[in-house]
This record gives sequence, C-alpha cells and structure tokens, in this order.
Amino acid sequence: MTPALFVQSAIIGVSLGSIYILMALGLTLMFGMMHIINFAHGAVYMLGAFVIYYVFFQGGMPYFVAFVASMVLLGIFGYLVERSIYRPIKGGIEPTLVALLALTTFLQAAGYPVFGQLDKHVPPVFPGTRNILGVGISIERLMIIPVAAALVIGLYLFINNTRLGAAMRAIEQDKEAAALQGVNVHVVNGLAFAIGFALAAASGALMAPIFKLDPMMGEQPLLKAFIIIILGGLGSIPGAILGGLMLGLIDSIVATALGAEPAFLLSFVFIIMLLLFRPTGLFGYAS
Amino acid sequence: MRSQRSRMLACLTVAGLVAVGPGITRAQDVVKFGVSTPLSGPAAPWGIPHKNATELIFDEINAQGGLDVGGKKYKLEVVAYDHKYVIAEGVATVNRLIAKDGVKYVSILGGAVVKANEEAVNEGRVLNLPLAYADGLVSPKNPLTFHSFPAPPETTSFWKWVKQNHPSLKRVATISPNDDTGWWSIKVETTFIQKLGYETVAKEFFERTMTDFNPVLLRILTQKPDVISVLASPAGSVGLIIKQARELGFKGRFIHIGQVDTSVVANIAGKANVEGMWVHGFVQTPLPERIKSWQTRYTKKYGEWNATSIDFANPAFAFVAAVKKAQSFDPKKVADALGVVEFDNLWGKAHFGGKDYYGIGNQIIYPMPFSEVKDGVATLVTQLLPPHN
Repeated sequence: MTPALFVQSAIIGVSLGSIYILMALGLTLMFGMMHIINFAHGAVYMLGAFVIYYVFFQGGMPYFVAFVASMVLLGIFGYLVERSIYRPIKGGIEPTLVALLALTTFLQAAGYPVFGQLDKHVPPVFPGTRNILGVGISIERLMIIPVAAALVIGLYLFINNTRLGAAMRAIEQDKEAAALQGVNVHVVNGLAFAIGFALAAASGALMAPIFKLDPMMGEQPLLKAFIIIILGGLGSIPGAILGGLMLGLIDSIVATALGAEPAFLLSFVFIIMLLLFRPTGLFGYAS
Repeated sequence: MRSQRSRMLACLTVAGLVAVGPGITRAQDVVKFGVSTPLSGPAAPWGIPHKNATELIFDEINAQGGLDVGGKKYKLEVVAYDHKYVIAEGVATVNRLIAKDGVKYVSILGGAVVKANEEAVNEGRVLNLPLAYADGLVSPKNPLTFHSFPAPPETTSFWKWVKQNHPSLKRVATISPNDDTGWWSIKVETTFIQKLGYETVAKEFFERTMTDFNPVLLRILTQKPDVISVLASPAGSVGLIIKQARELGFKGRFIHIGQVDTSVVANIAGKANVEGMWVHGFVQTPLPERIKSWQTRYTKKYGEWNATSIDFANPAFAFVAAVKKAQSFDPKKVADALGVVEFDNLWGKAHFGGKDYYGIGNQIIYPMPFSEVKDGVATLVTQLLPPHN
C-alpha cells in the first residue's frame, strides 16, 4: 500500500468511524442507563435518512434544516417509545428487548408500502472532492467528521455540565439512589431515549446524500454499532468513540489492503482477541 | 344411508381434486403461472418489471378471451410473490407456489434463488422460465428449466464489439456480488475477455448489503483500469459504485453486460457520472415500433415506464408460444414445444438453443440489444447474436 493510498483510506476510515460513533453513542447511552439494547436503532437510522429525503429533497428545505428536523422528530419519537413501550413494561430488560425488536420489524416492513419499493436517493449536498495531502476525498465524506465531532462534544458537555446530564450519570450509577435523591427517573429515561434516537437519526441524515435509501438500510450500521459497544465496553461513551474510530479504520484500511471479506473477518478476530484479554471491552468495567 | 353419504363425499372429493388439477382451476378455466421475484429491496428494479411484463402479456391474452388450447379458451393468471433477493424467501415463495397454489409453471428471478430451488422445481416437475445467472442452471440435469434471458456466455459477444470499436481499452477490473451469480458471471466474462487479449487487473466481490465501496474501489483503482465491469450487480449497487469511483477520480468506462436500468443508476450516481456506460438489455432510444407500442401499453397500465420490462417479458412470450404449439398445459409437453418453437419477443425472433455450449438447448437466443448512455439516455448501439446458437 502506497503512502497516498494509506492516507486516503485512513481519512475515509475516520469519516466512516464518525458515523459508527454516532450510532454507537446512542446505543451505549441507553444501555448504560437502562441496560437495554435498542434493536430499533437501525430502523431509527433509516427513518432519519428518510426525513432528509422528504424534507430536503422532496420538500426543498435547506439540508441543515432537514438535518435538525430529522434529529428533533426522531428524538420525539424516542421519547414516545419510552412512554409507550419501555415505561409500561416497567423497565423489564427481556420484554423491552422483544418489544424493540418488534418495533424494528414493524418499521422496516411498513417502510416498503410507505416509502416505495425502489431505492431512493438524495442529491449531494456538498458535491465534489477536495485534495488533502495529495489525495482526493469526497467533500460529503469530509463533512461528516466535523458534524459528528460537534455532536459528540455537545453530548459530552451536556452529560458533564448540566443538571440533566448529572441525573443521567446518577441513574447510570444507581437508579434507586438517584430516585431517592429526587431524580425523576422516568423523565430522564425518556430523555435518554430521545437523545439515543436523535443520534441514530443524525447518522442516517448524514449518510442519506452519500448512500442510497431503503427500509433495510439500518441493518449494517446497527451490526457495526453492536460490535463497537462491545469493543469499547458496554455503557462506556469514551469506549464507543474509540471503538467506532478503530472499527472505521479497520473497515477502510484493512479492506483497502486485503479486500472487504478479510477486513470483515479480521474485525471479528480482533474483537475476539481483545475480549479474551479484556472481557469488559476497552473501557468497560465488571458490575 | 351412511355408506351412500360416504360414497357421495368420496365422489365430491375426487371431483374436487380433478378440478384443481395441475395448476388449472377447471371450474373457471384459469391457468396459474407463478412468479417468484424481488418486489422490494435493492433488486426490485428487476423484479417489478418482471412481474408487470408477465401480467401485461397475460392480461392482453385474457382480454381476447384467453389462450386457445384444444378449442377451449383458458384465462392466464399470475401468482407473484416477493422474495427480496433473499434465498430463504425465494425457497419459501417457490414452495408456496408449488404446494399451496398448485402452479406447474414458474418464472424465478435471481441466480442464487433459482439454484436454491433447483431440486424443488425438478422434483415437482414444474416448468421453470427463469431470469437468472448461475453456473449449471442450463444443464441436462434441469430439463424443464428454460433460461429466458441472455446470460454471460451469450452477452460476452459485446466485448468483441468493444474490442473492434474501442481498441485503446486494454485493462479491465471487475466488481460483482459475492454469491453464485457474481462468481459465475465474472468467471465467464474474464475467461472470455482474456482470450480477446484484455488484461484483468482486479477482481473484487461485495456483499449485496454493502453500501460503502470506497475500500474496494481504492484497491481497484490502484491497478489503473480502463474499464470497470459491474456484471451481475443490481442498479442500486451500480449507482453507488459509479458515484464513489468517480469521487475517487476514476475517469474510465463502466460496463454491465448483464442488465441494469441506467435511469435508476443515474439517479444515485448522478447523470454525468454514468455517461458512456455500456449496458446490455436496457434501451431507451431508438425503440422499434413493436417496443414503442409495448411502452405505450405498459405505461398505460402501470403509470411509469420501465425499459427492463422489454427483455423481462420473455418468459411470458415463451410460455404462451409453447402452450399454443403443444396445445396442452402438461409441463412436459410444453417443455418439448419450447425446444422447437420459434416465437416473437419484443426484439425479434427468439428460440431456445445453445446445446453446443450447455449440453442442452434450453437457453433463449435472440438478437441481444446493447446500449451506451449518451446525454443520460441509454442509446442502442448494436444488436448481436450469441457466439453459440
């Protein structure tokens, strides 16, 4: 592999990793607080992309308006899911998993009659390429990196510098103790659902102009997000960030050097090896 | 009294079974024709026109009273199921067609799906008119399978045309789905083009769910190909491959000697990026009068024109011609008729042949259309016969 090719694939890997991070952050946030794996995350990613299709492409609104609309709409949807599914089940882990799996199946199946049977596309928002260190990179892909970084920093500041963020951290540490200290657990859980869904929607919204849209488009990113949160440590936000970057780089650099199939296999070999030495993942801890 | 009732019940049961018969509901004189095809997902741009074209031909025959067999008119009915280009769904839909719907004639789309159904089709003695690329599909071990679309052994003819008309192109890279269909297609294509003197500089496969082709394309582009073949890839994937390859700086040609809707590709890749692409089986202009009439009828019925329907009407044309020739709905007799009948498809005269190549004459043969995307429109450049008859 030439240095130029390495640079090119590394930049693409960081861009890909940024999307993985956004997907994994929402997933790990919800797991950390409620110990649930949100199987609906992939379907929310898909819905986020379709909001871009309808608001930006069909509706003619500016892309960033559509992007915010996607996050807000899916955030509200997340809050409603917490109210209508998670809360009535009273936080039961297994019933919630099954309910979220059912929600995913429903959203994907409903996608075909609602959005149509053919793949949809969104025209480029940032067309063209930019020369970086002597290699051409699509501007669309480059733009993912600062947007994802801004969202990650925003989430970090929110969790560490606000009362609601402190409440989320308190619930993560001990739900009962947090409730005894006056934290409204239901409201904060609802907020975690909303943030998790909004981050998944942001991933879908960022990818909409780059890839094609179909109701099953969230399956692969969901699989990647699962790998990342296991790699980074379940419930760990720094773990999700590092894991996302590592997987993005493996997917890009190894696939460029050896091919897509070996990269896929190697990513699993890498995770198995890591888990053998650190069963809780990079930043996880035994409960 | 009791035995009389039992006898009557037995008679009614036998009468009922006879009436249901092999895919024919005699009470209504309806013949069911099964279609198992992707009506959703990335391969839907193939599946939807497959179903629609079959329905349109049958509707037109039904509007004239039905298909005349032995002096009696039979209505033709399409029973279609969506397999999403997922093998398990393909097996389930074909089993349902055979076991539940009682069809004796099917058209299955997709190489991997057809291969997975080989045994069910053969054991059920079902006549199959697939649209699929798969190694060993047209074979003496599948006597009731009549492949109704030109496959890579036929469409490679076009590479000779490319060689003659664009001699400066020498280095070819291929990128195809990582399954039966992709492996066989690329094996056939690369073997053929290497004999013509082309250098195959890269050969990559991808999972059908893949959307980020950058790593694979970076590998390919380091080999500096003049042409990238995307044989057997569905329109959605082709659109992403072209878009991403252009972003990475590829200036050469794309070729798909399978079949792909270039308007769907252009929607995803951008019109300018698709310019100059060569495709088989998808033509937007100029269209012969017969196809213009088909376009009018298709658009009237379905609202939106789909040029893929032109060649995907072959199974229905072949089936109708063979039943007329056989004057029977018995699948074996219809198959025998398919072996000898010459019929009209939308491009001209068609027949089943290719015995020299496949060992059995069950491959459709007709003047295949090839086009080049010019100003965003798939423009017919030539019609060629396969290297074997």
